[in-house]
Amino acid sequence: MSLKVDSIVKKYGEYTAVDNLSFEMTKPGVFALLGTNGAGKTTTIRIILGMLSSDSGSVTWNGKSFLAANEPIGYLAEERGLYPKYKIMDQLIYFASLKGMKKPDAIKALDYWFDRLNVNEYRDKRAEQLSKGNQQKIQLIAALAPNPDLLILDEPLSGLDPVNAELFKTVIREEMKKDKFIIMSSHQMSTIEEFCSDIVIMNKGQTVLKGDLNEIKKGYGRVKLSVKCEGDITSLAAQCGLVATEVTPNGSSFDVETEKQAHDLLNRIMEQGIPLIRYELREPTLNEIFIEKVGADNEN
Amino acid sequence: MKTKGWQKIFGFTFIQYVKTKSFIIGTIVLCLIVALLGVGANLLPKLMSDEEEVFGDTSMTAVSTDAVYIYDNCGIFVEEDYAALTASGVKVAQTELTADEMLDALVNAKNEAMLSITDIKVDDGMGGEMIAGYNVKCYYSPDAEDDAVDYITMMTSQMVDYRNMLNCGVSPENYAATQRSVSTSKIAAGSDEWNIFESALNYFVPILASLVLFILIFAYGQTVAQSIATEKTSRVMELLLTSVRPLAVVIGKVLAMGLVSLLQFVLIVLVGVASVAVSAPFGIVGEIQEMMKSAETLTGEGAQIVEAVENTLGNINPLSIILVIVIFILGFVFFALIAALVGASVSRMEDLAAAMQPYSILGVVGMYLAYFPVIGNLDSMETGAASVNPVQIFSYYFPLSSPFALPSALLLGTISVGQVLIATLILAVFVVLVAVLVAKIYEMIILHNGNRIKFADMIKMATRK
Repeated sequence: MSLKVDSIVKKYGEYTAVDNLSFEMTKPGVFALLGTNGAGKTTTIRIILGMLSSDSGSVTWNGKSFLAANEPIGYLAEERGLYPKYKIMDQLIYFASLKGMKKPDAIKALDYWFDRLNVNEYRDKRAEQLSKGNQQKIQLIAALAPNPDLLILDEPLSGLDPVNAELFKTVIREEMKKDKFIIMSSHQMSTIEEFCSDIVIMNKGQTVLKGDLNEIKKGYGRVKLSVKCEGDITSLAAQCGLVATEVTPNGSSFDVETEKQAHDLLNRIMEQGIPLIRYELREPTLNEIFIEKVGADNEN
Repeated sequence: MKTKGWQKIFGFTFIQYVKTKSFIIGTIVLCLIVALLGVGANLLPKLMSDEEEVFGDTSMTAVSTDAVYIYDNCGIFVEEDYAALTASGVKVAQTELTADEMLDALVNAKNEAMLSITDIKVDDGMGGEMIAGYNVKCYYSPDAEDDAVDYITMMTSQMVDYRNMLNCGVSPENYAATQRSVSTSKIAAGSDEWNIFESALNYFVPILASLVLFILIFAYGQTVAQSIATEKTSRVMELLLTSVRPLAVVIGKVLAMGLVSLLQFVLIVLVGVASVAVSAPFGIVGEIQEMMKSAETLTGEGAQIVEAVENTLGNINPLSIILVIVIFILGFVFFALIAALVGASVSRMEDLAAAMQPYSILGVVGMYLAYFPVIGNLDSMETGAASVNPVQIFSYYFPLSSPFALPSALLLGTISVGQVLIATLILAVFVVLVAVLVAKIYEMIILHNGNRIKFADMIKMATRK
């Protein structure tokens, strides 16, 4: 199975919401679609789902033209939506039936997910009677019940308490083990790093970075240095050509151009006998890469 | 296929809507009102009438006070006049009291009256006097019934009139001849004539029908708009659109609400018919049924009623019922599609009321076109001319008004089946045109979030390549 998004373009009048976006998922896993607000993520997701038609380009699933209505696909939208006045079970059976499930199969699948997400007690309640977090669980059930091969999760963890966020993460991991293709969009970079192998970063409709996250990080090299000592190392850093980008009680951070600069600083600290508490030379985090790529463009 | 999955939307929408408390309570209340109206319309005319039968002889009922004392101050009456009055039910009594004494006595009397007849004299221009007229004055005891007072006064004044004519040399036969009334009618050559009851049916039924149809078609159209706006603003629409295309959502919703509306309409009609049927033996419907059984022997008013009922019932057949249902469905779909577009144009529920204004104007224009021309036909009740004015005919063919005007016109036989078929075809063509337009615009606006999309913007979208 594979999903291929090929050169899609979407314009609203003069405004280009998505400009020539391409990416491919050739193996199961989690693919991250990242960008600031208004970058074109939701438009991209809607094009993949067939809610919007692109002005050019194509979306294919296993080499065939992709139409969400004909394929097993689960979608957790960023802005959650349930019928407030209808019983949870009724609307979930309805959503499953729209995905082609027969009622007995839908009930069986829903029984499993009600148990799995600890919401059994809410099945006969109306959506308006549930907390936001529990409504989110119900929405996830709607996405997972048809057992889709492709899952699109738009901000799956936003608004969840730590316990339920962990539950969602566990469920996502279980789905990964079932060889599902998952597209995840989130502003929580730590979550993306936790799950995603491949990413696309969009900015104002343009693709600013894409590829395997580990490879991207390797491409940057170990350029982030964090040091915590029991003494001032500002002058030592300056001798190595380093200026702290951030100084906090937890230590100082530096951007290094070469690893040699970091090693020089370590040697000087040792030579001066300054007690060293922590020294870390690492690749940039996804958050740092994201800010570098789109931050300047989106600062007000 | 753009409409794949509409059946599931239809099924869910229908079941969920008929399960709502507002629908159940609303339907029960409506049925109760209709049942009360049915029973009331059948029983009230009879209860308000003192007679055994509401229909029958139109002459006044022979009801008199227990005693009627006549003071003929001008000496116009002869003995046989008193006898004639007595024969017609006026209980003429004798008394020794003077008129003034009688007037005093009447204050405490029980169901008695006195009639004072005087002549009105004027100068004849030649130094003498001449009788210009007569005055019949009725004094009655406070407990006397109005009907009795009216009756004895009318009979006595008629008798004065009769005796005056005879005194002037008119024979009884000639007097009877002078009582013949003259009525006028203005009927265009080639058009039908209605009796008073047919005129009444052709006046009231279209007005009632246009109002009921407007409420059902228009109100449920609004429900479609509300339902789609709710799905859009609550973001359920995004979830639906991962499984079906927007057009399937519109079709499923419009047809589901159409079926709800049609079922409620049929239920209301059945309850109305049942309430009239159950109360028939006790009201005017029972009387009409009796008249129908002996139709051949009836004359006058009875025959007119039977004719009106038979003419109306004659138009109710399987074809006309099917046509009424088809017109209802087309009318509903026509307005519901426009309402669906309105529902899709808003991103916040609070914008819906403002967005509904153009829809409301269209609906009200259609209803008024069906309603007001009928009011202009009020004179048909006096003239007897089968009066269908040009605006009314226009309303049968104009798609905005035809759903409200056609059903009653068909059932009353105001227009022929052929004309109804043409009007239905015109409506169907417009429904298809609106459906194509809605399908084109709907997909563009259903995921739009932000300011409400105005009608002019929608037209621009539809015409954009």
